Amino acid sequence: MIEAQALTKRYGDTLAVDDLSFTVKPGQVTGFLGPNGAGKSTTMRMIVGLDRPTAGTVTVAGLPYRDHSAPLCQVGTLLDAKGVHRGRSAHSHLLALAQTHGIPRRRVDEVLDAVGLASVANRRAGGFSLGMGQRLGVAAALLGDPAVVILDEPVNGLDPDGVLWVRTLLQGLAAEGRTVLVSSHLMSEMAVTAEHLVIIGRGRLLADTTVADLIARVAVGSVLVRSPNATELAELLVAHGAEVTGVDRGLLQVAGLTAEAIGDLALAGGVAVHELTPQRASLEEAYMELTREAVEYR
Amino acid sequence: MTTEITFARVVRAELTKLRSLRSSWLVLGSVTVLAVGLAAAIGYGVRGSIRAGEPAPGVADAVAMAFLPMDFLTLLIGVFGVLQISGEYGSGLVRTTLTAVPRRWPVLAAKAVALVVVTTPVLAVSSLAAFGVCQATLGRYGASLGDPGVAGAIVGAAACPVLMGLLGLGTGAMLRHTAGAITTLVLVLLVVPALLGPALPGDREEQVLKYVPTIAGQAMYGVDGSGNPFETLSPGASAAVLAGWVGLGLLAGTAVLRRRDA
Repeated sequence: MIEAQALTKRYGDTLAVDDLSFTVKPGQVTGFLGPNGAGKSTTMRMIVGLDRPTAGTVTVAGLPYRDHSAPLCQVGTLLDAKGVHRGRSAHSHLLALAQTHGIPRRRVDEVLDAVGLASVANRRAGGFSLGMGQRLGVAAALLGDPAVVILDEPVNGLDPDGVLWVRTLLQGLAAEGRTVLVSSHLMSEMAVTAEHLVIIGRGRLLADTTVADLIARVAVGSVLVRSPNATELAELLVAHGAEVTGVDRGLLQVAGLTAEAIGDLALAGGVAVHELTPQRASLEEAYMELTREAVEYR
Repeated sequence: MTTEITFARVVRAELTKLRSLRSSWLVLGSVTVLAVGLAAAIGYGVRGSIRAGEPAPGVADAVAMAFLPMDFLTLLIGVFGVLQISGEYGSGLVRTTLTAVPRRWPVLAAKAVALVVVTTPVLAVSSLAAFGVCQATLGRYGASLGDPGVAGAIVGAAACPVLMGLLGLGTGAMLRHTAGAITTLVLVLLVVPALLGPALPGDREEQVLKYVPTIAGQAMYGVDGSGNPFETLSPGASAAVLAGWVGLGLLAGTAVLRRRDA
């Protein structure tokens, strides 16, 4: 469980995070979405105590991150794949991390195995590809077997195999009952990975909702209707409160009535209908709509 | 044993970090080779001059010869200390480190302990070997371990670079950038003493210079009050002065580490 309350971060004149409150619940993947520069990374750094909030608080498992006696066992963090010294091997990197908490050495081998880096464990991390670096970051995040996992843009720069691997991993972690917060600027990625969404723009909360709700919200679109008696049908629909625009000969765009209602009205009025197509905005479009303002005035 | 952060564990982690970098062994190996090799070369050269008719050195001069290379090897260890922390900022590792130990100050304290643990044995061997080799090449003109002040100078030659490493660590923690921290360290250790002399009027110069880190450090491996072109404090007092600078540096470094966003 992650709870942010009125979290604010100011850098000079810029308000990077502005009065942000949200809760991340266990047992599901929560997508943390926003355009580049929306304040996602800053928020994540505040959650794990790397950046100090200008105002507001954020707790993980009920305590500020700094107050945990074994933070690696509470929260696993992947902030940037580059958090490794180039000259050190993957094994030594993880061993040093484990030693700060007295996590047994065999756990290092376990996580290296889990992320598929066992065979290159003793190679210098400087020679790792982006994907291998990302895997090493994930290994570090899993080291303390934490109940909360926070990953900042984990699929950035990964090939399709890597993307699928991260997606499966996140869903697996959530299925084990862990709290999973993962940031992305790609709605398409979150749509297939996350169940819950926290969407921010210019540091402000734009939506705190489930993927299903967001889809339902954007489904309120218009209906495309094709009829050989379009004029007659248009009059009938307007009489029932619809807004009708002629698109083409015999083709109407109808707003304010559902496809079902239009079909029923046409039947009752004895007007033939040849096509009835609900126009759904995609999740991507809904997201663009939500964040457009945030992008425009930056 | 419960799984949680303890200071001893953070120290162990920092030891692992130092030992797992090839560059650590490269620097420490180079320091040993240079300390001993240059001391031997100097001793050999001076013996030649004596045979050619120059006066034989006293104990203080014989000791000064052995540790002349330390004047710049201390800088090497200082840079080693800088890199121990600035390297983490450069690679982004510091964010991983500070999420593991979010209270932060134990990280710098553990780095200091690890630096002392790793460098002390290397420098103890180096300074003892440098003294031994230099006096051996000087033959009967050389000083011996039993001469007054010699044992202290050998200890000082080992301790001064360790303290300089800690000064570098503090500087690195304060400035967080490798290039900036190394430049600052060079300015403080080399340029400041060179400029301070001409800048200060007459007797003020003598009173101030002995408290400058470089001069205090060099006095640690001299035989009391001699073998140096400047007036210096006793080796013990010099060590205390340098330790004071180190303390200030580490305190300032801790303040920066705790306050600033990583």
